[in-house]
Amino acid sequence: MTLSKPLLEINHLFTSFRIKDTYYDAIHDVNLTLNENEVLAIVGESGCGKSTLATSIVGLHPPGNTTVIGEILYKGENLVNYSEDKLNKIRGNDIGFIFQDPLSALNPLMRIGDQIEEGLVFHTKMTDQERKARALELLDQVGIVNPERVARQFPHQLSGGMRQRVMIAIAIACKPRIMIADEPTTALDVTIQAQILDLLIELQQETNAGIMLITHDLGVVAEVATRVAVMYAGQVIEVAPVEELFRNPKHPYTRSLLNSIPQTERDHDRLQVIQGMVPTLTKMPKSGCRFAPRIPWVSENAHEVEPQMHEISPGHLVRCTCWQTFNFEEQETKEGVVQ
Amino acid sequence: MEQQFNNDQLTEHELESTPATGFRVIWREFKKDKIAMGSLIIVAFIILGSIIWAPFIDKEALMKISLLDEFAKPGENGFILGADQGGSDILGQLIIGARNSIVIAIAITVITGILGVAVGIICGYYGGIIDNFFMRLIDFIITLPSTMIIIVFVTIIPKYDVWSFILIMSAFMWVSTARLVRSKALSESRRDYVSASKTMGTSDFAIMFKGIMPNLSSLLIVELTLNFAGNVGIETGLTFLGFGLPDTTPSLGTLVSFANNQTVIAEKWWVWLPASLLILVLMLGINYIGQALRRSADAKQRLG
Repeated sequence: MTLSKPLLEINHLFTSFRIKDTYYDAIHDVNLTLNENEVLAIVGESGCGKSTLATSIVGLHPPGNTTVIGEILYKGENLVNYSEDKLNKIRGNDIGFIFQDPLSALNPLMRIGDQIEEGLVFHTKMTDQERKARALELLDQVGIVNPERVARQFPHQLSGGMRQRVMIAIAIACKPRIMIADEPTTALDVTIQAQILDLLIELQQETNAGIMLITHDLGVVAEVATRVAVMYAGQVIEVAPVEELFRNPKHPYTRSLLNSIPQTERDHDRLQVIQGMVPTLTKMPKSGCRFAPRIPWVSENAHEVEPQMHEISPGHLVRCTCWQTFNFEEQETKEGVVQ
Repeated sequence: MEQQFNNDQLTEHELESTPATGFRVIWREFKKDKIAMGSLIIVAFIILGSIIWAPFIDKEALMKISLLDEFAKPGENGFILGADQGGSDILGQLIIGARNSIVIAIAITVITGILGVAVGIICGYYGGIIDNFFMRLIDFIITLPSTMIIIVFVTIIPKYDVWSFILIMSAFMWVSTARLVRSKALSESRRDYVSASKTMGTSDFAIMFKGIMPNLSSLLIVELTLNFAGNVGIETGLTFLGFGLPDTTPSLGTLVSFANNQTVIAEKWWVWLPASLLILVLMLGINYIGQALRRSADAKQRLG
């Protein structure tokens, strides 16, 4: 374990959405730390709250029907209580955000160069010329071949990979200490994915920034992450260094997730799946282990009443105690009975 | 290496053909649609002609009553289009009247445009209480019987001139633009690029007017053009009813209202017909232009 300074500390974060006059927690008691010079991957299936977590950090959640309670500490200050004005000073300057779909995240009627300069206008005192030069430098840095020409183009004239490179150029324009990448490679094909990930890591190593990489692609996680947080139904259920997580997964959900990756060497007739669905926000169990309904063969006594995170080895945290009694063999025999 | 190759290819491809954008699409649409093209030429001719010619006409001399020239026929006594009851030149009145109508229409369109777009974008972007407040205000203004209130204003304002007329009209006409813009801004504000701008720390004002507004431009061009067509008729209509500009100002509405008299409508056609035709041509022409613009803003309807 290297000792690195924490950049962003999230303590007991609850984000709730209002649905018909009742608030439901989309993020429930999340504790996470993003350190300097690391890639923290956040994985989980659709609707588990990965993107909500990201938008809560930068204050992008829709106002009016959302409440955020808890602490998001950056430089000792709690971002949750920040006003829009104060947030604006931090967003873009200290925290860069990379969106999932670069086509919709770029303004269709603004030239690429102007969009890159946008962040610089508000956070630096550069002159027009300096900003132009910086924009070209950034485009060059993210591997765009003809920066002068691309800067004058509109987003629809670029390919998907180039657009994502532009998004990254925008995010790193002010050299942020923290980068939040919300599924940056989902909209791209596999070869471009690899290029974009390499680029992200390369930039991260230059600036010692911390990257929070949100994804549902375990292949991506294995390739680039240093630590992994697994989320399920709005909670972080397991945090571990990447090797530890892949080699020694503890929580039943993590194990099922890893088990459901299609593998050629394993001789299975069917793809391994996890039974059931993530409960929707309105039907979320009020207390107890949120994963319990999907592993019904594990006896109720195995779960904690109020599941907590337990550190089982340095840096490896697991929520609830049900992992101790969970095993796959049991699941397979159960399925055999059902069939 | 491979990327270099792709890049060169892209450049070559671009030289061959790029999809037409912005004003080139509009121009192509006009070239395909002969009526719209004709309308554009005629409307431009009328607008420029009246605005350039009007300052050369002596208004005092024009409106002086000379009984000798009462209802002079076209061509008589040097009146190209004849004279009205007071012996005033029809052509002169036509030009000044057209100029007034057009200037009023432009002013109202600009004022309602600015106000409507600003309120619309602010409502659409912020939503919530601000949106609710303005939308209820707009609902209220729409339910008011605007014509009657305008007539009341016209009679009670002591020093009544072109500018007070424009302001009274604008107070009632910005609401429809605001509603339209708000509905589009509402959907546009929820797009990712707005969130992306926010994550860069861009201020709300810059996001609204530099980010969102250009994306509404196709809607705005069409809306403002069609508003302009409607506004050309406003001054004429109210003057016809007797509540428009002061009597001493030559106006198309005054000329048309001569047709209230049965003998005039039956025998003195030159008094009211040119003004009526001018209004007809202007409004139709602007509508045709607006429709061509509307088509060019929507790829499915385009002819070109």
